[in-house]
Amino acid sequence: MKRFKNSVLVKKMGLNRVVLLGVLILMYIIFTVLSPDFMNYSRILSALNYAYFLGFLAFGVTFVIGTGGIDFSIGPVMFAASLIGGQLLTKNGLPTILCLLVSICVGMLFGVLNGFLVAYCSLPSFITSMAIMQLAKGVGSVFTKTQSISWPQGAEANGWYRNLIKVNIGGMQVPTGLIILLIAAVILSAVLTRTKAGRYILCIGSNREAVRLSGVNVKKWEMLAYIICGTCAGIAAIFYVGAYTTVQPGLGDTFNNEAIAGCVMGGTSMAGGLASIGGSFIGVMIVSLLQEGILAMGFQKDYQYLITGIIVICAVYADIRSRRRRN
Amino acid sequence: MEKDIRKGNAFTNNPVVKAIGTQKIVVVLVLIALFGFFCVMSPSFRQYSTIVSILDYSYYISFMAIGVTFCLITGGVDLSIGTGMVCCGLVGGYLINVKGLPVMVGILGAIVIGLLFGLMNGILVAALNLPPFIATLGTMMVARGFGSIATGGLSQTWPAAASENGWFRSIFKIDMGDMMIPIGFLWVILLVLVMSLVLNKTKIGRYIIAIGSNKEATRLSGVNVVKYQMSAYIISGLFTGLAGIAYAATFQAVAPGTGAGLELDAIGGAIIGGTSMNGGMGSIAGSLLGVFIMSMLKTGLPYIGLQANWQQIITCIVLILAVFIDVQKNRKME
Amino acid sequence: MGEVILTMKGIDKSFPGVHALDHVDLEVKKGEVHALMGENGAGKSTLMKVLTGIYKKDAGTITYEGADVEFNNPRDAQAAGVVIVHQELNMLGHLSVAQNIFIGREIKKGGLIDDGAMNAEAAKLFEKLNININPREKMSRLTVGKQQMCEIAKAISHEAKVIVFDEPTAALTETEIEELFKIIRDLRSKELGIIYISHRMDEINVITDRVTVMRDGGYVGTLITKDSIKDDIINMMVGRVIYEDPKTQSMVPADAPVVLKVENLSAGKMVKDVSFELKKGEILGFSGLMGAGRTETARALFGADKKESGDIYINGAKVEIHNPMDAVQHGIGYLSEDRKRFGIITEKTVAENSTLACLEEYMSGVFINRAKENKVAAEYVEQLKTKTPGVDQLVVNLSGGNQQKVVIAKWLIKDCEILIFDEPTRGIDVGAKSEIYHLMSELAAEGKSIIMISSEMTEILRMSDRVIVMCEGRKTGEIEIAEATQEKIMHAATMRN
Repeated sequence: MKRFKNSVLVKKMGLNRVVLLGVLILMYIIFTVLSPDFMNYSRILSALNYAYFLGFLAFGVTFVIGTGGIDFSIGPVMFAASLIGGQLLTKNGLPTILCLLVSICVGMLFGVLNGFLVAYCSLPSFITSMAIMQLAKGVGSVFTKTQSISWPQGAEANGWYRNLIKVNIGGMQVPTGLIILLIAAVILSAVLTRTKAGRYILCIGSNREAVRLSGVNVKKWEMLAYIICGTCAGIAAIFYVGAYTTVQPGLGDTFNNEAIAGCVMGGTSMAGGLASIGGSFIGVMIVSLLQEGILAMGFQKDYQYLITGIIVICAVYADIRSRRRRN
Repeated sequence: MEKDIRKGNAFTNNPVVKAIGTQKIVVVLVLIALFGFFCVMSPSFRQYSTIVSILDYSYYISFMAIGVTFCLITGGVDLSIGTGMVCCGLVGGYLINVKGLPVMVGILGAIVIGLLFGLMNGILVAALNLPPFIATLGTMMVARGFGSIATGGLSQTWPAAASENGWFRSIFKIDMGDMMIPIGFLWVILLVLVMSLVLNKTKIGRYIIAIGSNKEATRLSGVNVVKYQMSAYIISGLFTGLAGIAYAATFQAVAPGTGAGLELDAIGGAIIGGTSMNGGMGSIAGSLLGVFIMSMLKTGLPYIGLQANWQQIITCIVLILAVFIDVQKNRKME
Repeated sequence: MGEVILTMKGIDKSFPGVHALDHVDLEVKKGEVHALMGENGAGKSTLMKVLTGIYKKDAGTITYEGADVEFNNPRDAQAAGVVIVHQELNMLGHLSVAQNIFIGREIKKGGLIDDGAMNAEAAKLFEKLNININPREKMSRLTVGKQQMCEIAKAISHEAKVIVFDEPTAALTETEIEELFKIIRDLRSKELGIIYISHRMDEINVITDRVTVMRDGGYVGTLITKDSIKDDIINMMVGRVIYEDPKTQSMVPADAPVVLKVENLSAGKMVKDVSFELKKGEILGFSGLMGAGRTETARALFGADKKESGDIYINGAKVEIHNPMDAVQHGIGYLSEDRKRFGIITEKTVAENSTLACLEEYMSGVFINRAKENKVAAEYVEQLKTKTPGVDQLVVNLSGGNQQKVVIAKWLIKDCEILIFDEPTRGIDVGAKSEIYHLMSELAAEGKSIIMISSEMTEILRMSDRVIVMCEGRKTGEIEIAEATQEKIMHAATMRN
């Protein structure tokens, strides 16, 4: 056991993440055994479709949790972004690229609002972000006059954005979304671990006052975490519509919980100061695989809610226990 | 007497005002002002049926608010009340419709499920020391999943008023032909009075307030803080169950997968009514008033041409304002 | 004064690396007010914690009411009649006075709490003690003085026979102190034994019967108050042999420029109209007892806390400092006294903590230049002799003293011109202490200017070029090192206008 813990692989990735990867592989094996046709390529693509947008949501909220806060608005913000962008595309005829940018900007604006309220007005993040969640639901709905919005199909003229998710090369579907997600993970991980922003964000989560007394502009960097989170939600919007086409106003909060579950599973601590994009990545893969597997086995999505809830509780409990041991 | 008492002004030091609480008086005034506003802006608002529908909407939210107030007073929160309520309603309905059991069993079933969720939350927060918002978030997800699974994903409609089992609906509303009498309102008032008594005059309530005020000092005084903090969540669970019954009684069907977001109305109502998120301070009556404000806004907005989606935006603004005021209030106390 | 009610004999208590109590004796009689005096760190509160069961003694006996006792926790002590009224009141602000007093043992009628009866009982209690408080009032709305009286009443209602007052008058007005003394005299006449911890000489004179002095964890002696004078007590408090050579002469040339000038700094209750100057290359010692306001002064100067008034001049030019960012930009660094709360980032490594105050200088483009960061961190680990397996070790894994060195390194790496060290050697072993002293002297010689807040007399006398003494928020003394003695400093530290 000790040799395992000290092996090169574990040292590089962290014990937590190796275990997680093991869980992922184990899950895949179990599902394959229980449901014989699980191991086909289209199932994997289907699970990946879920993972793209959830991944971006999780990456974004990882930054916020790193500061010791939380953002419950990410799902509905993603929906608001795709509703607004989609409306401009389908009803107002604006070019696709512009609409994609608008989506991202909508996400960013919500992040700015959230960040301002938490960092500069010192409001508690969980109730504030829940209120913003309502705002996002309302804004999205008002903008489209409560209509659902369907983004264009791949075959259509302005459907090129679907290539971001999947490209048909010689009869085989290539999950380009996965490549983009991985690149994003690498970039965001670098931001979190190797830039000033990431350094300050995690330090703030660990000991806000000590950072303030070191002469750092705490409010600015805390707000940045929320802006990153909002922007990621805006990007997530693109991947959601790319895979699922239609967005309905008023929904989206289940994704909050799943994204947060993915983060917490991946080793990001709710107390702040400890966060990992890589961990969130694997966590999201587990959640996506889980929901795909549950559907494949013929069960309702509700089992996934149940299991995700239990996972969150267990993960947070484990986190608290390990913190107590450390201190 | 020198400067014994910290600064207050003539208004806040008035004994009547102190007995009721400044915040509650302000809330009542706002409530009246809102009502007046809607009446003036829309003639169709000024109907008896409007009041009935405002009240209809407010029963289950009121129950949730009464319960969650106890959690807020300990300095925690219960986010599972929304989906928990739906789960209770579903399970109760399931017992009646699918299992063919009498309505009374359905009602008890709903309450038991609520208590179980309360117990779960209580253990997670009080015994295992998980942060309340994430622990109850987990319960919220479990409740959402469980409710659906238990009923096979089908909506449950509790017996209609006209049917022989429909007597329970008249707990809330009596149909006198062309007029509905919302006696549910009386039950709400009764429960507010009872729970107010529990909060202020029983050991459970007293220690819940003490824990919210200064958990360590309370512990050092020999009080079993784990037990009493857990009680707050069990009370919240109980009222989640009651809310489920009220929801089923006032609406047609209880649909699985719904409920998320309703907890914000209850929590928002409590904060507006003067319950502080920092703990130690709260009022059941205030929470009820706060719920009425939220309820009035929701019902009234369509009458001035703003659709349901605007409700969410207004709810957000009201909630943020309430939290902002709460934060300022706490800062002044330090 | 009657017979002895409490005897603590030969009390010994050690913590890792610290011999906190060394054969301490204390004897309290019924109907006596017995003062317990000593500098910060003399061991007064440790002794009381041993008495009430918060700490377990290593040796010695406690005899209470004729029998040997050892309390396991404060509640057991309280049940037996031994109670402390703390400096930081442990109260439930949102509840009323009566509700606070009866928490945990509420009076009930028919299953419900009978607030009316509790109010009446509390009123009776207050009447007995001659306290003028409305039991229905919410605790948080009372002044600190009244809150304290409620604590006392609560203690009495637990049928206390020995009451310990820990710095009771620190937050009281003159009138409230008078009221407190009336109550204490009343308690004394009721044959209670009272231990009175305070540094206020004039109060000791007025209210106490005997004085026990502690020093460096040891018992020095007991005097009868009316037979002793202030100087006797001061001598006992500080009369130690100083092994390290104190500084005899300032190292600062007479024509050294003034780098920092603070005028009329006022912030809250702890900083009242403080003015001083700091010269280039000087080590300015800030001495005083706990609660003197030194840390608060430093924090107000550094912008960490809001100030009501005060002008700050750096190198002759007026500067605006409203927050730590401003201060750091103007070249001021502040090493806080509570490193766990305000100093270290527990989840981060030695290297990451070290560069926190000047991260901009360790960037290459958008990324942090870890190699450069590690290099500079390693340099300072070497220089400060910080014991760590490497600069990538998590700070939380280091011992307290080494954590302190990491925080010191942070400010040194920032290369501030003005450094405020608040209790720089607290919790650091002797060997490491001299490393830090050596470092400070070097910094001063290089031209850095240092304000050193310290509660250790030897440290003040060894390192300072000049000593400023504060007492209860005011500057009460300014002494050149050539003329400084322990007695003079302690005199000023206990001088309440």
